[in-house]
Amino acid sequence: MSTTLHWLQTTLIKDYGLNADQLTPEASLEELGVDSLGVMELFFAVEDAFQISVPQEQVALISIGDVADYIDRLIATQHPKQDAQHSPEDAIS
Amino acid sequence: MRRVAITGTGLIAPGGNTVKEFFDALILGRSQVRKISGAHFERLVAPIAATVSFDAADYFPAPKLRMLDRVSQFALAAARQALSTARLEPAMISGARCGVFLGTGMGGAQTTDDGYHTVYAQQSDRVKPFTVLMAMNNAPAAWIASEFALTGPCLTYSTACSSSAVAIGEAARRIACGDLDVMLAGGAEAPLTFGTLKAWEALHTIAKVDAVDVSASCKPFSRDRSGMVLGEGAAVIMLEEWGHAISRGATILAEFIGYGLATDNLHLTKPTVAGQAAAMRAALLQAQIQAQLPLGTIGYINAHGTGTLANDAVETAAIKEVFQGQAYKIPVSSTKSMHGHLLGAAGALEFIIALQTLQHHQIPPTMHLNQPDPVCDLNFVANIAQAVLPIEAVMSNSFAFGGTNVSLIARRTHR
Repeated sequence: MSTTLHWLQTTLIKDYGLNADQLTPEASLEELGVDSLGVMELFFAVEDAFQISVPQEQVALISIGDVADYIDRLIATQHPKQDAQHSPEDAIS
Repeated sequence: MRRVAITGTGLIAPGGNTVKEFFDALILGRSQVRKISGAHFERLVAPIAATVSFDAADYFPAPKLRMLDRVSQFALAAARQALSTARLEPAMISGARCGVFLGTGMGGAQTTDDGYHTVYAQQSDRVKPFTVLMAMNNAPAAWIASEFALTGPCLTYSTACSSSAVAIGEAARRIACGDLDVMLAGGAEAPLTFGTLKAWEALHTIAKVDAVDVSASCKPFSRDRSGMVLGEGAAVIMLEEWGHAISRGATILAEFIGYGLATDNLHLTKPTVAGQAAAMRAALLQAQIQAQLPLGTIGYINAHGTGTLANDAVETAAIKEVFQGQAYKIPVSSTKSMHGHLLGAAGALEFIIALQTLQHHQIPPTMHLNQPDPVCDLNFVANIAQAVLPIEAVMSNSFAFGGTNVSLIARRTHR
């Protein structure tokens, strides 16, 4: 499991009150109750945790796995010298 | 004009999170005013308020809760109760002839405070994405419309301390004139943030802390009154066109019959006898014309009664001007002595209290009225609840900074 996906799952459990067994990579954000506004807020936390900037563009993200892949692409673009398994500072704290 | 039925009530208030629990506490004279604590609160001259006992997690799942300022939490919880007590299902109010009118003075005050703290105190540009959506004054009404899939009008009135009284009056008017059939109406306020409390303190309207008993700090109509105490919460009522309520077999709690609106235009904060009397007269005139309510059948007035020197003296004089000699016979009480001043939610909360007196024949007292003031000489039901014979009609007054004065009248149900 990627660090990013693990961070997402941990955050969704901690801040959104979701259960771990719901949070498979294929799980639909909408079905979990995380709508477009929820994703916007999630990205706010992502920016802090991964020290990246999420562009103000419309991106179709259906599942948790989609979000993790999108974050990983942003990390690869904005922090190209770092490992693909970029570890967010105190992200899991 | 069509008749307007009141078929449901709901509230989150200091002293109770159901109408029964809240009204029972008032009859027992239980003040909810207490010392409050929080970041920076030690810098308040009078760190007191009337607070609710409310755990938002009991009402909302975590993802939704993250988007709700406290003011919207209160509003949604109160609206659900109003719907439930009216025995209406959300599907029954989803049409275009159903809507929600709400009042609030300060909106999402905590969210606004937090945003300013971020940009000014922390010198950060990381303002939370939901700041606008949580702070905007129409958020509470919008959340209600969203939750119940309302497609009719969703409006927010902001006239300071009369906001929710205006919302109720305007909603009733829309039903009476035939525009709409079913309305949720009321108000919500969550002003107990450091920034908001400091702003009110700067107006020199907040009561001194009672040295012996903090809970007795708000003393409406008493000679030793020193100001108001802020409170928090929400109150929402369900209004229905009379025939609509009858046809579905609803229990009609009372009939809405009077909405008077008048403006004090001389000063932003200084009340006038003429302005307050004009609002009461307008409500009484409407009740007389539309519901044939004889003048002189008002059996209880829930006063605006803030506990400030100016309001209480002016309101006493205004009641006497309107009701003349009969004024001394009408029980008048300020329940703000117990639940504090809920600002934009005050009018709706106090209107619900007045409705309760129609049903239970008990008048809640004005607490902490221990020193009679010669200029406040009506029957203020001092310190002990008063049992009364069945009341025909009740009035609730809400007078505001900015000058928007409102009186609402309801009468007991006559089929």
